[in-house]
Amino acid sequence: MVPIEYYLLLSAAVFCIGVFGILTRRNALLFLMSVELLLNAANVNLVAFSRFHGNLTGQTFSLFTLALAAAEVAIGIGIILVLYRNFADVDVTEATTMRW
Amino acid sequence: MAALPFELAPAIAALPFVSFLIALLVGAFAPRLLPKGGAIPGILATGGSLLLSIWAFVAVRGASEGMYHESMTWVAGVGEAAFDLHFGVLLDPLSTLMLVIVSLVAFLVHVFSLGYMNDEGETGLPRYYAGLGLFTASMLSFVFADNLLMAFMFFELVGLCSWLLIGFWQTERAPPSAAKKAFLVTRFGDYFFLVGVVGVFATFGTTMFVGGEGGLESFPHLAELALAGEGGAEVTTFLGLDPQAWFAVLGLLILGGVIGKSAQFPLHTWLPDAMEGPTPVSALIHAATMVAAGVYLVARIYGFYALLPEVLALIAFVGGFTALFAATMGVVKKELKQVLAYSTISQYGYMMLGLGAGGYVAATFHLMTHAFFKALLFLGAGSVIIAMHHNENMWDMGGLKEKMPVTYYAFLSGSLALAGIVPFSGFWSKDEVLFEALNHGMAGSELLLGAYAMGLLAVFFTGFYTFRMVALTFHGDARTDTARNPHGVRWNVKFPLVVLLDAGPEALGAHHYGELLHDFAHYESAGISPLAPGALALVLALAGAGLAWKLYAVPDPEEHTDKLGGAKTVLFNNYYQDEYQVWLAEGVTLPLARAADKFDQGVIDGVVNGVSSVSLFGGSRLRRIQTGVVSNYAFLLTASFVVLLVVIGLLGGWF
Repeated sequence: MVPIEYYLLLSAAVFCIGVFGILTRRNALLFLMSVELLLNAANVNLVAFSRFHGNLTGQTFSLFTLALAAAEVAIGIGIILVLYRNFADVDVTEATTMRW
Repeated sequence: MAALPFELAPAIAALPFVSFLIALLVGAFAPRLLPKGGAIPGILATGGSLLLSIWAFVAVRGASEGMYHESMTWVAGVGEAAFDLHFGVLLDPLSTLMLVIVSLVAFLVHVFSLGYMNDEGETGLPRYYAGLGLFTASMLSFVFADNLLMAFMFFELVGLCSWLLIGFWQTERAPPSAAKKAFLVTRFGDYFFLVGVVGVFATFGTTMFVGGEGGLESFPHLAELALAGEGGAEVTTFLGLDPQAWFAVLGLLILGGVIGKSAQFPLHTWLPDAMEGPTPVSALIHAATMVAAGVYLVARIYGFYALLPEVLALIAFVGGFTALFAATMGVVKKELKQVLAYSTISQYGYMMLGLGAGGYVAATFHLMTHAFFKALLFLGAGSVIIAMHHNENMWDMGGLKEKMPVTYYAFLSGSLALAGIVPFSGFWSKDEVLFEALNHGMAGSELLLGAYAMGLLAVFFTGFYTFRMVALTFHGDARTDTARNPHGVRWNVKFPLVVLLDAGPEALGAHHYGELLHDFAHYESAGISPLAPGALALVLALAGAGLAWKLYAVPDPEEHTDKLGGAKTVLFNNYYQDEYQVWLAEGVTLPLARAADKFDQGVIDGVVNGVSSVSLFGGSRLRRIQTGVVSNYAFLLTASFVVLLVVIGLLGGWF
């Protein structure tokens, strides 16, 4: 059986890749992908601990997360569409009108 | 029991108020509908008040307890130490007597105004009669007020009306200025009065003059119980003073209002200037309202003052000093009404002397006789002024005796009363005042004796200036053309003069003030006979009058007071009282106010402005981190979270 530390390391690595994507990318679609990475990192953690403790609640929870991620992408794409309509681009650094 | 006049008592003040409303509203919207510019409603209203007052005056004698008291609460207190605010009617011998005096004088002044204002073709008459009506209504309400707060409110209204009426000729230069001065100077005194009212509320929880079971809800009675050390009275004192000292402070505060309104030294300066108003207004102010309000207030709460010997002695001393002080200034004045103004100040000084010396009845008696003879003198002066085509300088008159006999004899009898010549009313009341001062002073109070001495000396000056005035105005040769061909006066000027000629004295219920004075103020009677001091005062008055007569009742009198040299200049300039008060206002108060303004603008506003500009500056810097770029926000979030983790980790000992 694979020790739990490996799962945790994998999860942390995926999470860091996601954060790195959010901080460095300007394309809104890549933003969405990075957010998916974050969510999946969390999912890996949930499933790993579920198995570690022999408790199925964690796995059930990861299913919820998947459903939530799907909904989030739907809304995210909607926002990106509006962004494109207003700024003729999907670059997030362009849309700076909602400040002081 | 005759309850009807008591039920109708509020109407005594309401009637003139209605006349005020009529004069104001009809005068503003339909002046043609107002006969005589509002005089008729005013005469009817004050006549009605007069009748009701007389009825109440008679009825109050037959009433049980000798008084009638009805009160309604207009603000009810809530909570532990709450107190209620009342409006009420208090009719006792003192207030009903005063009601009769005020309404009689107001009635006659209204009639006289027909001659003085209407016949002279004045404009703005509705305004004038509205002022008179409100003035009378406020004074009457003040007189029957049953608590200090209500008294204060109407006291202020009286002040407001005096401002309106003194400044009636508002297009000229002097009257508005005199009106402002009268208002401000009396306001200065009223300020202390207001603090006193609040103090009385805080101390006793009530400001009622009478009321409650055995008087337990009236503050003079509570004060009496507190000083006697008996139970049943809960008082709160302040500044760590014992009740005696704290009550003295309260008494002095209320006295501030009295000194302002009754034109006592040093707040007397407004009164001579108030002569700028129409003469009937001067008569009303001097005889019955305004000035009388102060003395009446002391008489009203005499149960309180009788407990405070120091305050009483101070009242007596201020009164005696004012009597002498004002009388000396009256000696050199040129204008008829100025002499009368100083005589008013002087006579009110006598009343204060009488009150301070324990002569409650004497002072009230003098208040009454003075109201009548001073109204007579002012209306007489008004008649003379009409005749002289509004020239008030006595040196331009002379020889008016043959031209206007009715005015002359009325004026002469008023003057005899003012000078205190037997058997005119002023003699009896003034000598009673002086006798009280001497009688109680002989029993061991130097302050009272000093006040008596000044009062006695003032008798001489009173006789002198009174007869100087009479001689210059009515005797000798006519000194100008106007005096040779005076203007005739009609019945409506003569009628009030004749009515006032028949004024007579009336006794008062003195309550138990005698005992109070004896028990608390330790006023002892020296048991001397009133005859010798009375004779002394009479001789002095006659000497003054005789001297004036000899000097001025000649065909062509000279300014004998010129021989006084520098003293005359000082007297003529009123001891430079105005100058020093103006200096006080401009030299002390103004810089002080400027400094306070500077402090307010600089320090107080500076702190507030500083706080706001720091926020503004900080905000303008801090907003730069809000870039609108989502990546920056994400970076801030992540970085902050990492920092938080590290900090918690370090503190929590994870590493």
